[in-house]
Amino acid sequence: MNTLRVIWVLFEKDFREELRRKENVASSLLFALLSLVLFAFALDPTRVNLNETGGGLLWLVILFAGSLFMGGSFRKETENGTLQALLLSPTDRSAIYAGKFLLNLLFLLVLEALLIFFAFVLLDFRPGPGLPALAGSWCAVTFGYAAVGTLLSALLAQVRGGAVLYPILLFPLMVPLVIAAATLTERALSPRFSWTDPWLRLVLLFDILFFTASLFLFEYAVEE
Amino acid sequence: MEKRTGTVLWILAAAANAVALALVFLYAPVEVQMGAVQKIFYYHVPSAIVCYVLLFLAFLFSVLYLWREEPLYDHLAYAAAEVGWVFITAVLVTGPVWGRSAWGKWWVWEPRLTSFLVLWLTYSAYFLLRLFSRGEGRTAKIAAVLAIVAFFDVPIVHKAISWWGSIVHPKKVVLEPPMRLTFLVSLVAVFLLGAALAFTRTRLGLLEAQKAEREGWA
Repeated sequence: MNTLRVIWVLFEKDFREELRRKENVASSLLFALLSLVLFAFALDPTRVNLNETGGGLLWLVILFAGSLFMGGSFRKETENGTLQALLLSPTDRSAIYAGKFLLNLLFLLVLEALLIFFAFVLLDFRPGPGLPALAGSWCAVTFGYAAVGTLLSALLAQVRGGAVLYPILLFPLMVPLVIAAATLTERALSPRFSWTDPWLRLVLLFDILFFTASLFLFEYAVEE
Repeated sequence: MEKRTGTVLWILAAAANAVALALVFLYAPVEVQMGAVQKIFYYHVPSAIVCYVLLFLAFLFSVLYLWREEPLYDHLAYAAAEVGWVFITAVLVTGPVWGRSAWGKWWVWEPRLTSFLVLWLTYSAYFLLRLFSRGEGRTAKIAAVLAIVAFFDVPIVHKAISWWGSIVHPKKVVLEPPMRLTFLVSLVAVFLLGAALAFTRTRLGLLEAQKAEREGWA
């Protein structure tokens, strides 16, 4: 089997598993909705204009709910004793990373689509004509988040207290992406968005750097 | 890792710091606008420089550890990160004191100070990881991967925060000759202090590992 085929098989296996178990997907999505509602109570949407400050807020929700989902992506393999089997399979280790990465990316994108919908209904969030710009820049940010998130999940899968450690390790590394996401959202909703925005370029640099580094470092992260 | 080397380093560091402190308080002129508070500069800036050097060393030794799997590299990386963290803390403690007299506030979300705060959070997480996974075989590898990822993040964090923030550290500081001399001596003193701390910390790590091995729980 060539590597792409292996990645696809691994992705499909996890995809099917998540659909059947439902608990990870459901709890993360529900947590996202819950945080959005709590933010509404904390900020009072009748006074705060979410179209100006919404990007950062929504990204906090994505960060929290996303870490809940991604943190478990390797832990479940350790718990079921299937990590060994995965590692023993005669394939390039980075294919295992890529498969998990794809699933996490897909989950985050679904989560974001739902969040935009809920923010639209509940908090008067109106992307309007800026939606393509918003979608494009969020995809770029999400790519980087999933890249680092998947690597750290593998790193912490066999560490005692890994679930507690995961967000503490992940969030400081995400600072550039959070600032970029907040700024890019604000710009996407205004007419002055450009696809050559320096923030977008910084995010792409982050994506390339960390995806490549993760492919390479993954082997060390899971090695026995 | 001879004990004597450590002793020599410590004596040098103590002497250099004594000279540096004497110069700071007795020789360097009092700055016109900020007054005596400006003297923080002589330890604030060297701490920041030494911290960058140590974090780079932590990255370097982590790469070497993954490559060669020599336990010594792991101890060196751990020590460099830990002492680096101490210097980040020093920068974060002296920064607000400076800010209070320069900007009238203890904390402003100023780019360089803010990126040091993020740096502090990142490396605190690194120690938390070391604490949680203490005594587990794979700790060293996991920590090494994290140190590498964290190091790649540093320049991006810095870039992002400097775009995001508005107030900026002066790009270039022009120092009067006596001030420059004092600054250079302080820089050497802080470097030696960092070296002595890192050396002792590495030695401690090696001794701990030896003890663990002898008692058979490693």
